[in-house]
Amino acid sequence: MRLGLVMLAALLVQLTVFVDVRFFGVAPELLSLVAVIGAFLIGSERGPVLAFIAGLIWDVYLPTPLGVMAITLAIVAYAVATLNEGLFQDSPSQLMMVVFLASGGAVLGYALLGGIMGSPELLRIDMFRIALIVGITNAVVTPLAVPAMTWALGGEGAMR
Amino acid sequence: MVLLGLTAITLLSLDLSGFGPIGTAQRWVRDLLHPVTQVAGAIASPFSNAWNAVFDYDDLEAERDQLRKELDDAEGAQLAAEAEREAFQRLLEATEITYLPTIPTETADVVRTAVGNFDDHVITIEKGSNHGIRPGMAVVTGAGLVGRVDRVDATTANVQLLSDSELVIGVRLVSTGEVGLGHTDAEDPLTFVIDRGLDWPEDDDQSLLPEIGTVVVTAASSRYPAEIPLGRIKDVYLDPENDIAMIVEVELANDVRDLSYATVLLAEGVDQVPLVPTPSTSIPLNIEVPEDTGSDQ
Repeated sequence: MRLGLVMLAALLVQLTVFVDVRFFGVAPELLSLVAVIGAFLIGSERGPVLAFIAGLIWDVYLPTPLGVMAITLAIVAYAVATLNEGLFQDSPSQLMMVVFLASGGAVLGYALLGGIMGSPELLRIDMFRIALIVGITNAVVTPLAVPAMTWALGGEGAMR
Repeated sequence: MVLLGLTAITLLSLDLSGFGPIGTAQRWVRDLLHPVTQVAGAIASPFSNAWNAVFDYDDLEAERDQLRKELDDAEGAQLAAEAEREAFQRLLEATEITYLPTIPTETADVVRTAVGNFDDHVITIEKGSNHGIRPGMAVVTGAGLVGRVDRVDATTANVQLLSDSELVIGVRLVSTGEVGLGHTDAEDPLTFVIDRGLDWPEDDDQSLLPEIGTVVVTAASSRYPAEIPLGRIKDVYLDPENDIAMIVEVELANDVRDLSYATVLLAEGVDQVPLVPTPSTSIPLNIEVPEDTGSDQ
């Protein structure tokens, strides 16, 4: 229930605020942020499922076929959770770095998969710029998003 | 993870194959969330406005929208008048031809521009299938064509803008009556390039070239209603890759990058790209009417 509310809030902010508020023409990807932080907090078993659902919600509004963003975020979430379990101590600064890399990776993955799935216009040189800006803006928003995701997950995986 | 992959592949396959319930489910979700989105948008608008301006943004925005509408109307009336004069002369030569039939319209505010980072050429308008809007319909402002209806929900619709260079449109050059296919220049969204269907004059006769500054309108063979103005010719040159083909560059009458409203022509479009330019059928080309028998068109 809480997780649904956070996802809905992220979607609404994305569809309202970040239609106008853009950084160098690029909007943060809040559903990606939810997916990455969720995977970071709850691990590789349920993280990809959470990310898949977040991606599916976002897919409903995107021009690409249903499932492109969902599978992209699920793969990214799986990678984040797996790396976090094996390599990282979970600290806020590390999470911001993970969010930066994973959000940028999600943008590139979405463009690649969308290009393969019949939207070749997504595959353009501009996608690297978009990935960079999305990575940075999502990382900046991370300190605000972590408490919301911790609350949504009932304190599970709460960071020190 | 494997299960998620299989689920995604299934969804992608069904959506790509046009499986109805998938599209219906997505429409249902968007329609369900639309009122919530509207409320959230109203709450967020002060923040968005503050972001976009430093003072009196609302008043300036309203004033700008009003001025833009009036300007578009004036430009459109001028272009339409020129096109009508040309067409009328031909109609006088060919009787019993229906010209510019009255088409019902729906005017709607633009509720938002692109939501994602890769759909720059899409806007959402506040009217949908409940108002008779269907995919493929032409979308205009007072200054002419701005795009086509793409995805339609009950109360909103997505419009694929003319700035999308993937959108191919059949057009007619009013000054010569020639028809061709064109698209917006990917590097310059205010320039429309007609690069298919036009032949360079034989013997390099420059007098047969379309005149700079004359109007270009949609052709009857396009997927849209005929005679919708697009803009004025700004350059004509030989195709560097094909020495018998002509390329015409058109300065679009509309700047689709900052629309605040749009009007949908409620005439069903042909929802496919015209592959081969064909002569206009609503306005006969180079028609010669025998004085004693009249036209057989």
